[in-house]
Amino acid sequence: MNSAPRTATSGAPRATPPGSASAKGPGGPGGGGRARWSPFRTDPAVPPWIFVVPALAVYAVVVLYPSVAGVVYAFTDWSGVGSFSFVGVDNFRTLLDDRRALESVGNTLLLTVAVVVVQNGIGLLLALGVHANIRSRALLRVIFFAPAVVSPVMVAFLWKYVYNPEGGAGLNGVLGALGLGGLRQDWLGDPSLALWSVAAMVIWQYAGYSMVIFLAGLQGVPAELHEAATIDGAGAWQRFRYVTWPLLAPALTINLMLSTIGGLKLFDQVYAATNGGPGTASETLSTVLYKEAFVYGKFGYSTAVALVLALFVAAVSLVQLRYLRAREVTA
Amino acid sequence: MTTGFPRFSHARTDGPGAGLPVPPGRATVSRRGLLRIGGTAAAAAALPAALTACSGSGGGTGQVRVVGVADQQKPLEELIAAYRADHPDDRFSTSFAPTDQVQTVVRTQLAGGNAPDVHVLYPGSGSAMSMAELAKASLLTDLSAQPWTKGIPASFDAAYRRDGKTYLYSAGSSVIGAIYNKKAFARAGVEPPGTWAELLDVCGTLKAAGIVPIALGAQTPWVTQLISYALVPDAVYAREPDFDDRMTAGRATFVDSGWADALGKYKELQRKGFFNDNPNGTTFEQQTSLVAGGKAAMAVQVSAVLSTFRQATRTPDDLGMFPFPAGDDAKKQWIPAGIVVGLGVAAHAKNPDRAKAFVEFLGRQENIDRWAKAVSAIPFKRGAATRLDPVLDPFLPVIDAGRAVPFMDQRWPNAEVQPAHFAAVQDLLAGKKDVKGALAQMDAAYRKKA
Amino acid sequence: MSAATPVRPGASEPSARGAGRRRRLPRSGRYLLELVMAAAAVAFLFPVYALVSMAMKDPRQIAESPLAPPAPPTLANFGDAWSSASLGPALVNSTVITVASLLLLIVLGSTGAYYLARRARGLGYGLYVLFLLGIVLPFQLGMIPLYKLVDSLGWLGTYQGMVLFYTGIQLPFTVFLYTGFIRALPQDYAQAALIDGCDHRQAFTRVVFPLLRPITGTVIILNAVFIWNDFFTPLLYLGGSDKETVPVGIFSFVGQYVSDYGLVFAGLVLAALPVLLVFLLLQRYVIKGFAGGLKG
Repeated sequence: MNSAPRTATSGAPRATPPGSASAKGPGGPGGGGRARWSPFRTDPAVPPWIFVVPALAVYAVVVLYPSVAGVVYAFTDWSGVGSFSFVGVDNFRTLLDDRRALESVGNTLLLTVAVVVVQNGIGLLLALGVHANIRSRALLRVIFFAPAVVSPVMVAFLWKYVYNPEGGAGLNGVLGALGLGGLRQDWLGDPSLALWSVAAMVIWQYAGYSMVIFLAGLQGVPAELHEAATIDGAGAWQRFRYVTWPLLAPALTINLMLSTIGGLKLFDQVYAATNGGPGTASETLSTVLYKEAFVYGKFGYSTAVALVLALFVAAVSLVQLRYLRAREVTA
Repeated sequence: MTTGFPRFSHARTDGPGAGLPVPPGRATVSRRGLLRIGGTAAAAAALPAALTACSGSGGGTGQVRVVGVADQQKPLEELIAAYRADHPDDRFSTSFAPTDQVQTVVRTQLAGGNAPDVHVLYPGSGSAMSMAELAKASLLTDLSAQPWTKGIPASFDAAYRRDGKTYLYSAGSSVIGAIYNKKAFARAGVEPPGTWAELLDVCGTLKAAGIVPIALGAQTPWVTQLISYALVPDAVYAREPDFDDRMTAGRATFVDSGWADALGKYKELQRKGFFNDNPNGTTFEQQTSLVAGGKAAMAVQVSAVLSTFRQATRTPDDLGMFPFPAGDDAKKQWIPAGIVVGLGVAAHAKNPDRAKAFVEFLGRQENIDRWAKAVSAIPFKRGAATRLDPVLDPFLPVIDAGRAVPFMDQRWPNAEVQPAHFAAVQDLLAGKKDVKGALAQMDAAYRKKA
Repeated sequence: MSAATPVRPGASEPSARGAGRRRRLPRSGRYLLELVMAAAAVAFLFPVYALVSMAMKDPRQIAESPLAPPAPPTLANFGDAWSSASLGPALVNSTVITVASLLLLIVLGSTGAYYLARRARGLGYGLYVLFLLGIVLPFQLGMIPLYKLVDSLGWLGTYQGMVLFYTGIQLPFTVFLYTGFIRALPQDYAQAALIDGCDHRQAFTRVVFPLLRPITGTVIILNAVFIWNDFFTPLLYLGGSDKETVPVGIFSFVGQYVSDYGLVFAGLVLAALPVLLVFLLLQRYVIKGFAGGLKG
């Protein structure tokens, strides 16, 4: 037995809090015998910065530079084609009393909360289920993940058939056949329901996606921990709560952040399923943004909306990240 | 990468009507130089010479790049094949996709300075990819010199032309009317109505016979507008032929016009139970199957969908079409007839000569007829050999009598009015807005600057 | 992955796999769970059934009863979709673009994340947040400048243009996934390797990267799904060229007035199958590999 497995079985894969990695290397602060000071590297346990350079370079070229270049349009009256002139911060002022955009914020938040909570809840349950030692788990994983491999726009096309409001068709037909006829709905046509119908569709598509990330986390939970806990007399719930759950922290962080950002930016499914309707009942910031840019031909203004959306999402995710990372360390 | 970054100069501002000259031939002009119209023109100077040297000869040497919407795929591919039979050396690269995505792609390519040679173009104004919008930005080639343009009736000027120059190629117009299931009508013992009162009678009889009188698929946004469009020609244009001009001048509003009567009638059809349940949740596809399967008797639709309806039924011959009556005089019906989505040649096409030659080919009578037939449209000019879909026969006398009105959005000043109309109709059907509120929403969108 | 040998001493014991790694359930509990999961699977499968069922119908059958079992079922849509969307060449294009992008994403993402995870403060944290920003930024923001950039490189209509695009656009997500998991990984392994005289590159390729198998599997499948399905960018960058990908072919059947959903959904089924197969294989590979990886 070398030292590595011992760490794993001791139940503390993160005995070293990640945040303190650079301070606690074997060489101690300052990097031991290194004479030359470098802002990029202070500790021989920390890989050299060349590790991150290729990724950073590609990222800068494909994402950072174009986005920064694109920000300029937010200060213009550009239609998206032809000439334009600079209008200062007019677009941002317009946004302040754009009722359509402001109302869509509420929808965006509702949709995000629903997707984050339900998708991850179902994803976690599915992951636990297919991680257990049941015979059909390989097949089940494929089934639960299958919706995620279909393009989101196509999923919306498909679900419009499922959401057929006629009594005998689609989901309504199934409900009727199950004796639940009272639950039949005008899924996409009822303004108070449309947003939730879209949310259900998104959750169906991505619960398996969350599952896969949770599974990767579960696969990192050493079985010995469970065995030890079982020997100590822990029940199923206790084993989950005190063994599995803390070790799922990184997967949870990733899932929560991805679904929050994904929810706030959700576009394809909403646009293809309802186009923001009926009326404006399911309009989200992303559909407003898209319509301004490519339907109304107000590219400049839409860039301003995009910028505000980006700042908003960035703020939410940074707060979330700080909280979740702190939680990972203490969990 | 400084080359990709636009430098902004304010040297050029082309106000409406400035009509920047479209470079003829443009053999020696660099593509990139031209593409960065207006604000980005200066960027061309920063490009390395190697990149700017791709202008080629006047005809260009690459493939003719065509980007269209999926609905154009069938006629275009047929006609490209026919064209290539005579011009085997002309190669084409085509791509087709759903409307939204194509619109986004083409606008990005235009903005990015890499226009396709030939691309989808919507008639008139009122949409982000409309003829007027792109012509205003000097992104289209003037086609006026081509012989087929002489055959465009003056009444279609607003759809094809801006400032006297023709920019749009479109095979003709499609009409809005009621597509109906003859068997369902026979089952209830009714005939196509000629007046609004008769229509209400027919609907009542159909409903009593257990047949949904009118299928409505308002979940699909563009379907919401069709009943308004069917009613407005009589309610507005029959009384006020200059309504569009008065709207443009700011001397009329939707709220205080015949639009209020039209939407009132729309709402009346719903109130009387003449639509299927839950029209806001019913899609175009479901609307189609209701009529094709005989559960519903008719649907107010555009003739371009006839092939979809026919595919959906065992007995295509049982489908007919009649003008949807909005008025009191069966002898003086008014109908909406809109030019169908067509093509334009980009001002900065890489192969302008060959692109124009191809469009000229499309302008031959037999090819106009072919395209029109594929999308159940009425050719903008008819020749001796023109054969129309017989289902459209009831519309011809109305068109020939000059009582056909272009689709309303083709004269709207910006691209926001039409989506506002979609949302207004859905709100109206959901009971969230009344007629006044719905029209006020459209007025607000109309007054926004383009 | 033979380089992983030093850290998987227990891999040779067959009992170390599978059963040993999983919670053992009492038999009754296992059957109950199996039943519950089967019920969940049926609920999940309903839309899939709808998809496959429509893929086996002609337009009239879809109009008459879209979700009823196809009677009689037809496979014509699959053949038609294959030929009219040129799915053969499109599958090759999609595969080349997806695999090349995935390779770059794995290499760049895992190395970058290794640095960011091990240097979690100061510059490291700043860079991490900078990468995270890439997930947040709306796509529209950089769309036009990026298009001009790819055009000026002469990379429109080429594989390398798409590979560059996907590598860049999916790097933030990939780095995010990797960083989260590397942070949770015990540091002892790499440190032991460094003490044994490996340099950082060797420590990473021989020790750390093999430990990343489960998350690499996740990175592969989640990125593959995105790249494989992405429709808009291939249409923008490749439309009309001979490099068109599968979604571009399939979407060309979706019109405003005329759509053939039987054809569309048949194409969709054909497009989804390879990805599902890869997922199935990956799951096995990842689980097997990992069962050996951390056992002692």
